Amino acid sequence: MEAQVPPSQPQPPAQPQRPRRLYRSRSDRVIGGVCGGLGRYFGIDPIIVRIAAVVLLLFGGASALAYLAFLVLVPNEPPEGAPPPPARTDRTSTATIVAIVVLVLVGGPFLLVGGLAVAGIALPLAVLALIGLLVWWLVSGEGADGGAGDVARRAALGIGVLLVCFAIFAGGAWAAGVGGGAVAAGIVIAAGLALTVSAFAGGFRLLLLPVLALALGVGFVSAANVDLHGGVGQRDYRPASAADLRDRYQIGMGQLTVDLRGADLPRGDTRLKLKVGVGDALVLVPRDVCVASSADVGMGAVSVFDRDSGGLDVEWVDRPAARAEGSRVVVDADVGVGAFEVQHERNDRFDHRGRFDQRDSSDGNEGCGTTAPGRA
Amino acid sequence: MPKPDVPSLVGGLVLAALGVVLLLDRLDAIELSFGTFAPIAFAAMGAILVALGLSRRA
Repeated sequence: MEAQVPPSQPQPPAQPQRPRRLYRSRSDRVIGGVCGGLGRYFGIDPIIVRIAAVVLLLFGGASALAYLAFLVLVPNEPPEGAPPPPARTDRTSTATIVAIVVLVLVGGPFLLVGGLAVAGIALPLAVLALIGLLVWWLVSGEGADGGAGDVARRAALGIGVLLVCFAIFAGGAWAAGVGGGAVAAGIVIAAGLALTVSAFAGGFRLLLLPVLALALGVGFVSAANVDLHGGVGQRDYRPASAADLRDRYQIGMGQLTVDLRGADLPRGDTRLKLKVGVGDALVLVPRDVCVASSADVGMGAVSVFDRDSGGLDVEWVDRPAARAEGSRVVVDADVGVGAFEVQHERNDRFDHRGRFDQRDSSDGNEGCGTTAPGRA
Repeated sequence: MPKPDVPSLVGGLVLAALGVVLLLDRLDAIELSFGTFAPIAFAAMGAILVALGLSRRA
């Protein structure tokens, strides 16, 4: 039995295979379509590329520089139906990727050690440019399409919008801090209602971000309970006796120090009230005096001798009893943003980043009989 | 009646509500802290972003 050989089919003429090219994706993009394009080029899920980019951003920020390089060097995907761009070989795309990877590999170590001034400048600029593009995309809906000039222009516009919003945020915070919070809140309500009405006449989206920035500024001050009354600067008070103590010591912004080490304090309780808007409140007491303290700190830290607490909405209560026949200072502090400290000696307990330094554990509330744990 | 601009409508209502919360705090009717204000602020920003995204998708 003979095997039948099927008649040969006429084969269509072989199409010249288009070279695979690296584009920034139009259909799958968050900022500039870089991760979408890379995912398509390498045949992997763009989400994985995005996750890798974010992870790399946390380890030195090399991905921000790479992203910006891709944004500028890699063209946008041509629209559907558009004629293909002049032929470039697969080698060209690969060369672009290799060039960017080499750039990042060479620049990455410098970024990580922070030893090169250029890298130290380039990374913040790259991050700033990306933030600018994101802000401009939020405001106008324009992504990172077009050439390098268009991308740079949109990044600059986005940064400009961000700066204006920050200025409005600071203005709103200042207004609320000096007592104009109700007026600022009224402006937010009025602008919100105006926006709502404008929605039926085409809308006025440009108002969205500035009003949101104003509301966040007022809200920040309200949440931290910042009161900027009382002036700005550094105030040192050294009362000689309990009779010299004021009802309340207050400063708007700066450092407030009440030094009781030379004060003749009577037996029993001596009350002390402090209020600081933004800054530090420091109370210095003799070693034989017991200190009971309570403090509300919106954002910052409390340090009472060898104990401390920090973060947001810090509520501190520490009510130890004095020794028999001893003196006790009862401090009530209200700090918006900053720190409240009680110490025996003046020392810089906070380093330049606002963190506590290592302390001497023997430096405690020595004038008290028993120490009641009451820290919140 | 013309179709409203969704981001302006949602953003306006959200901002007006945020302003009312801030006004109540300033008038001591409520007491805001970061623990209460942060979720409100994030919800407001989220609502505006969702409205912007929906309008672009449409």
